[in-house]
Amino acid sequence: MRWVRVVISCLAAGAAATAWASDAWFDRLEERLAVSAWDDAVRARLSGILSLEGYAISQPPPGLVFTRSNRLFNPRLALFLNGQAGPRLFGFVQARVDRGFDPATERLRLRLDEYAVTFVPRAGTALSVQVGQFASVIGNWMARHDSWENPFVTAPLPYEHQTSIYDSEAPLSLDDFVSFDPAEKYEYNPIIWGPSYATGAAVAGKLGRFELALEVKNGGPSSRPELWSIRDLGFDRPAFAARLGFRPDLRWKLGFSASDSAYLAPGAEHLPAGTSWRDFRQRLLGQEVSYAWRHLQVWAEVFQVWFEVPRVGTVRTVAGYIEAKYKFNPRIYGAVRWNRQGFSALSDGAGGRVRWGSSLWRVDVAAGYRFTARLVLKLQASGQREAGQHENLRMNYASQLNLRF
Amino acid sequence: MTPALRRAARKVAGGLLALLLPPCAAGAEIAGRVELPRQLNAPVKTQNYEPVASGGALAPVKPAAVVYLEGEFPPANPAPTVQLVQKGQAFIPALLPIQVGTKVEFPNYDDLYHNVFSFSPPKRFDLGRYRTEDRPVPSQVFDKLGLVTLRCEIHSHMRGQILVLGTPHFVTTDEHGNFRLTGLPAGRFVVKAWLDAATTHARPVELGPDTVLRVDFP
Repeated sequence: MRWVRVVISCLAAGAAATAWASDAWFDRLEERLAVSAWDDAVRARLSGILSLEGYAISQPPPGLVFTRSNRLFNPRLALFLNGQAGPRLFGFVQARVDRGFDPATERLRLRLDEYAVTFVPRAGTALSVQVGQFASVIGNWMARHDSWENPFVTAPLPYEHQTSIYDSEAPLSLDDFVSFDPAEKYEYNPIIWGPSYATGAAVAGKLGRFELALEVKNGGPSSRPELWSIRDLGFDRPAFAARLGFRPDLRWKLGFSASDSAYLAPGAEHLPAGTSWRDFRQRLLGQEVSYAWRHLQVWAEVFQVWFEVPRVGTVRTVAGYIEAKYKFNPRIYGAVRWNRQGFSALSDGAGGRVRWGSSLWRVDVAAGYRFTARLVLKLQASGQREAGQHENLRMNYASQLNLRF
Repeated sequence: MTPALRRAARKVAGGLLALLLPPCAAGAEIAGRVELPRQLNAPVKTQNYEPVASGGALAPVKPAAVVYLEGEFPPANPAPTVQLVQKGQAFIPALLPIQVGTKVEFPNYDDLYHNVFSFSPPKRFDLGRYRTEDRPVPSQVFDKLGLVTLRCEIHSHMRGQILVLGTPHFVTTDEHGNFRLTGLPAGRFVVKAWLDAATTHARPVELGPDTVLRVDFP
């Protein structure tokens, strides 16, 4: 019944917003939020997405949601400033007002999430250099991670499921490492933390049907948002990543990603004598494929990740998902995503084997209803089953009303 | 039938045909100028999450108006087919007047995907993603009067407009606002200049078979 109330509330809010402002009104606003000067040589445009997000969840909360309550309301305003000076220099800033980078029980705050300057050395060539704080080149979800592009409310499993890896200190033993404590959920890391807006530089180019992107940043894929800003960390732990893409035609995209980085935070405690936090690496290999034609879009990714854990050794996890979205008509779409993650086993020193994480699968089902060209409501239900202590199917629900301007 | 009789019959038939032909065969003409709104600010090329950024600048949309003769006219038979293309991440033409019943094809001439859709009350549709070589070219028949705003799901700066009219007598102005409507029927009409959803200028006119009028808006 609670969920029915959430749906009714979202539909009412959508209907009210539709009545309040038409597409034509927002078209005029969009025109006023754009400027150009010097014969259009310099241009800028401010745009945004207002999201009203609600979660009805079981404890411990799923993915990168941080609350002790079974319900969470998370309003978010994302503002994008895009600029261009001539045909070869571009700039981009994203600032957000919300209750934390990941949905949490915090006060609303303004935060600068991304900024980048992109330079195209030669006009007419597909070669670019980007510097700043921006989404990683890894995988294919980054290109569609914002709330308008993502058919779901939440991210795919590899981008949000927290493993037993933690970056603030070294585990004292294997038992210490494998004992995931839900009460300290924020201390743990997923293999890729959302869009991973770390700071650094990237070079990307296209040759025929191939794309190549290389980046060096101040944090690896699993690093947490607090470590992404250059102000907080500097460049004393460079992380390297690359993505090779192949596009046989417009419908298909294939990609291979790799990264190598330190995963512990600077100053991580309890390190074995004679070691540095820089010595313990996260290595990632990813494969992706996507297909789009007419009203169908399909994405799939698989990541194989190794962590060198102090006192434990190298642990491995494989995580992936396949996701499909179909637009039934201009107003309604449906989407389904199947996610899976498994963990390697370690010797417990007594002749036995112990897995360093609970293997799990999760099914996400979502439906979207578009009130207008700029207003869409998403409803999501997720069922997750983990081996071990959470063997029962856990259901979580989310809704999101997005207004783009 | 003798040749003389054949000639006489041709003359009578020609005369009858002239009487039966609609007045548009008369060929009146209206020319003039519409004061256009200022050009919108040029769009910014946004490629925030593109794997590879490319250089270049998007062309600004030039302002234009549609001038048409309002009145009671039969639908075109057969219904015409016209094209509105996607090229250079823009709809070309950005403003397309058509007579009701017209079929519009939307070929994609870019080497990237677009996704044309409309939420306008006269025509709500979503064509999805398709390539240049995909056949048949996605199309829509516009069977209700009104303004249809075209958008691209992938490139939010792309905007196009189709103005569905009840008349076959329309023309789009050039970028300076100049227009010429030719082949118009004789009679009393209202000539209108459509600038945007909120602005339409109107002027009553009386046309003879060979009238040449100059009408400026506003």
